Amino acid sequence: MSETVVIAETKQGMLHSVTAELVSAANALGSAPTVIIPGTSDSAAAAVAELAGVGRVIACVGDCFSTYDAASWAKAVDTCAPAGIVVCAASQNGKDLASRLAARRSISVVQDVVAIDGSTLTQPIFSGKAMQNIVLSGDAVISIRANTFAAVGEGDGAEVTVMNQSADIATAVREMIAKANERLDVAEADIIISGGRGMQDPVNFVDLERIADALGAAVGASRAAVDTWDEIPHSMQVGQTGKTVNPSLYIAVGISGAIQHLAGMRTSKYIVAINKDAEAPIFKHADYGIVSTWEEALPILESELKALLG
Amino acid sequence: MLTYEGVDFYDIESQLSEDEIMVRDMVRDWVDEEVIPNIEEACREGHFPEEWGQALGEMGVLGMTIDEKYGCAGMSYVAYGLVCQELERGDSGLRSFASVQGSLAMFPISAFGSEEQKMHYLPKMASGEWVGCFGLTEPDYGSNPGDMITRAVEDGDDFVLNGAKMWITNGTVADVAIVWAKLDGVIRGFIVEKNDAGFSAPEMTGKHSLKASVTSELVFQDCRIPKNRILPDVKGLKGPFSCLNNARYGISWGAIGSAQACFHSAKEYTLSRIQFKHPIASYQLVQNKLAWMLREITKGQLLALHLGRKKDDGSWIPEQISLAKMNNVDMALEIARMARDMHGANGILDEYPIMRHMANLESVKTYEGTHDIHNLILGRWITGIQAFTRDL
Amino acid sequence: MPNIAVLVKRVPDTNAQILVSGDRVDLSNVKWVMSPYDEYALEAAMMHKEAQGGVVTAITLGAPECDKVLKDAKAIGVDRIIRVWDDSWSELDSNQTQMALTSAVKEISAEVVYCGKSAADTGAGSTGPGVAERLDWASASNIIGLEFEDSGIEVIVPAASGNARTGISLPAVVSCDKGFCKPRKPNVKGIMMAKRAQVEVLAAEIPASGINIVSHTPPPQKAPGQTFDGATNVPAVVAALRNDANVI
Ligand SMILES: Cc1cc2nc3c(=O)[nH]c(=O)nc-3n(C[C@H](O)[C@H](O)[C@H](O)COP(=O)(O)OP(=O)(O)OC[C@H]3O[C@@H](n4cnc5c(N)ncnc54)[C@H](O)[C@@H]3O)c2cc1C
Ligand SMILES: Cc1cc2nc3c(=O)[nH]c(=O)nc-3n(C[C@H](O)[C@H](O)[C@H](O)COP(=O)(O)OP(=O)(O)OC[C@H]3O[C@@H](n4cnc5c(N)ncnc54)[C@H](O)[C@@H]3O)c2cc1C
Repeated sequence: MSETVVIAETKQGMLHSVTAELVSAANALGSAPTVIIPGTSDSAAAAVAELAGVGRVIACVGDCFSTYDAASWAKAVDTCAPAGIVVCAASQNGKDLASRLAARRSISVVQDVVAIDGSTLTQPIFSGKAMQNIVLSGDAVISIRANTFAAVGEGDGAEVTVMNQSADIATAVREMIAKANERLDVAEADIIISGGRGMQDPVNFVDLERIADALGAAVGASRAAVDTWDEIPHSMQVGQTGKTVNPSLYIAVGISGAIQHLAGMRTSKYIVAINKDAEAPIFKHADYGIVSTWEEALPILESELKALLG
Repeated sequence: MLTYEGVDFYDIESQLSEDEIMVRDMVRDWVDEEVIPNIEEACREGHFPEEWGQALGEMGVLGMTIDEKYGCAGMSYVAYGLVCQELERGDSGLRSFASVQGSLAMFPISAFGSEEQKMHYLPKMASGEWVGCFGLTEPDYGSNPGDMITRAVEDGDDFVLNGAKMWITNGTVADVAIVWAKLDGVIRGFIVEKNDAGFSAPEMTGKHSLKASVTSELVFQDCRIPKNRILPDVKGLKGPFSCLNNARYGISWGAIGSAQACFHSAKEYTLSRIQFKHPIASYQLVQNKLAWMLREITKGQLLALHLGRKKDDGSWIPEQISLAKMNNVDMALEIARMARDMHGANGILDEYPIMRHMANLESVKTYEGTHDIHNLILGRWITGIQAFTRDL
Repeated sequence: MPNIAVLVKRVPDTNAQILVSGDRVDLSNVKWVMSPYDEYALEAAMMHKEAQGGVVTAITLGAPECDKVLKDAKAIGVDRIIRVWDDSWSELDSNQTQMALTSAVKEISAEVVYCGKSAADTGAGSTGPGVAERLDWASASNIIGLEFEDSGIEVIVPAASGNARTGISLPAVVSCDKGFCKPRKPNVKGIMMAKRAQVEVLAAEIPASGINIVSHTPPPQKAPGQTFDGATNVPAVVAALRNDANVI
């Protein structure tokens, strides 16, 4: 069994909790990993060292880590990381770095791993419509989907080594701009939260919008909502005479689930319904139904999501 | 967003070339994105959105079988047929626009016009900048255009036209009218322009069919045009009829588009409509209807494709086009009526495309040679005896 | 004037039903399309040419049936179309794919490479950064904004604390998300150009595969629908969406 290496996930210089899941994945591959933590200082290294199942910790310290730059990160991390199977988080930057590292070492990269069984790794393909099971024939870099491995707990404290690195930054961040709060179109979105006549007043759609922002979702509506309220444009309508959508998650709030509405969203991968009437037809089609008024359910939903997604 | 994927039970696609598929998909996507979301409003207001004409020009499908030298694409008739199919899946009025522009207005210029006429008119018509129309039918002469009244006489350097045409698609919005009129008793083609003195084109209103298409009268009162506006290379009914052959061929594909739209809607609706505890699509009577629709659409597709290949290799005869136009419009109209029934009360709403296609197809059945005129054409071919009139 | 490359891939339509038969996915009946994010990459490449001139080359990797995506690119207006392939190849891993594409990029002396942020089949997003590393170039991934400058480009990439407006000097590899452009549509003239265009086929040296695909399996079955009584169950549903459904 070759050595395993974990590249700790950081968020603005702090250790990201997903790192404990990466260590768990590395353990599943059969060894206590060397964890590399990139940063402008070694301040987050102690937190890594406390995780159970960690072999040793290398704080990879350099100015190049002040903002994400793929080329310099890969170069600096590569120098610190021993050979072996490298485990990263399947986050936006984690996957990017994984690709670069693998290319530097001329080895394969396997992204979005969701299960490890002995030497077999499983990753979703075709946006989850099938799973691919592979075995590695040598070293590789793999990225791990969040929430698929149980996080390791606290351990005895591993040894921390600091390695100073420098690498030329190839890209220059000129300015940080606030993320535009542009509403996604329902036809484009992977997550949709829709409101119906049960929302009672168009101003209450603000509650849906806040949840949509937390999820990166689009806000949709039933025909009854569109027809009743001028504020809700037809472009938001889902259904037979609105848009036919196919997201991975569709949340229907105060929507009864009329056949014409279902016609537009039935193929959604997961459907959640919030409706105060336990007899509403939407519940027959929901994967998760919550019998409740939206007034009660949405605030809890919002705070849960914010806690989860930050 | 789920994309539309045509009915292709016999894998017709395997018989299409890559460029034919690309053209079909280009138009299919455009119809999904621009036409279907807006067509009901256009019908309600009874107008043809100008930007659709421009978009057809930008896509390059106007007169697309004509030579590249004239700003056209020089594509196959099968590709043209596929375009008609996709346009008419949107609306017959949209397909009518393209048929009239390409087959009835640009085609006669390309086939019978002088080189100067071709260079002058075709590129601007291909781009959609100039709209064309085709004036053959008159108030008193429909199925029997040979007896038309509209006349042209020579007067110095000009021709002077008198008479009237009726039921002319695009007439009011046209920049260029191909007008068939008698000169010394012989039918000739003339190019009349929008601003020619003595020419007017009032719109006809009150249609229950092809509402998103402009239909007009063309009125000629001592309309004076320069001599170089006559189409030099054709005399007699052969002129208009060769245009009609091309347009009718396109209609045989277009009707399949309407039929597919109705079939698609009927399938979706009956699968989701529950009566007596089960989806109505689970009942044998409904399945029988769906199976019949699929059968007719599939036959129509094979007919149109084979005819298209014959158009492309030049081995066709006009009677084959008559059979295809008549058959495919007939089956599409029957499918639309049947789909209307299957949608129950919902079938009469403009929320569903059914009733619009059904009403449109009533026009399509009549124009470009009525259903029965095509029967008579085939009857003559079979028996050798013409039955259009009693004078044998 | 820059030599601009764009990487495009043939993938099953994202609406296609994916069936597993035996131990492999059965793709014999799916409709194939250009991977959706590649359409944005293609548009970016065309915009680059419009801004600064140059030549746009679309490159794909795959067997002859992949010519179609190159023809689609040609119909949009690219200048050259190249397919990298060797008949002895079959399923290539990321390492092999990137090596093959890198050699094509070198072959045409490109100075900037655009690609989609991920391909719709693997969803991996490894190709852009991987090719950049092999070329020893800068890269920006998942861009949502793009401007052209005398000495390079300016992109907008999403970051933890906002969106980063970032300057990059060329050569560079840029992987594109949607949102910064509307991909242009083909027209009949473009399609006729595509019909006549010749696909250049390039071979490449590639290493051995580092992985072995054992099997494909259907995704885990969804649990039957559940209904919970009362808003107090919202946290349980959120947890299920996260841990069982994996959709948030
Ligand atoms: C031809 C045709 C086409 C149509 N096309 C479409 C279409 O494209 N899209 C579409 O959506 N519809 C369409 N419809 C309309 C459709 O039949 C329904 O009328 C519509 O979907 C109902 O919208 P709704 O669920 O918001 O309203 P309702 O059916 O009135 O349902 C409101 C729901 O809100 C719940 N509710 C009320 N108060 C609360 C609360 N405080 N908290 C939680 N829940 C609450 C109620 O229990 C009820 O279930 C079409 C109809 C026809 C005839
Ligand atoms: C929406 C629309 C758009 C049109 N656009 C154009 C256009 O752009 N340019 C143009 O020139 N024309 C156009 N037309 C006219 C169309 O071509 C004519 O309507 C068609 O040729 C039929 O002529 P008619 O209406 O005078 O019917 P008629 O010829 O009077 O026919 C009436 C009925 O009698 C039947 N009939 C006629 N003769 C015989 C016979 N010998 N034996 C048995 N039955 C017979 C017909 O089959 C029909 O059922 C358009 C028509 C419509 C409705």
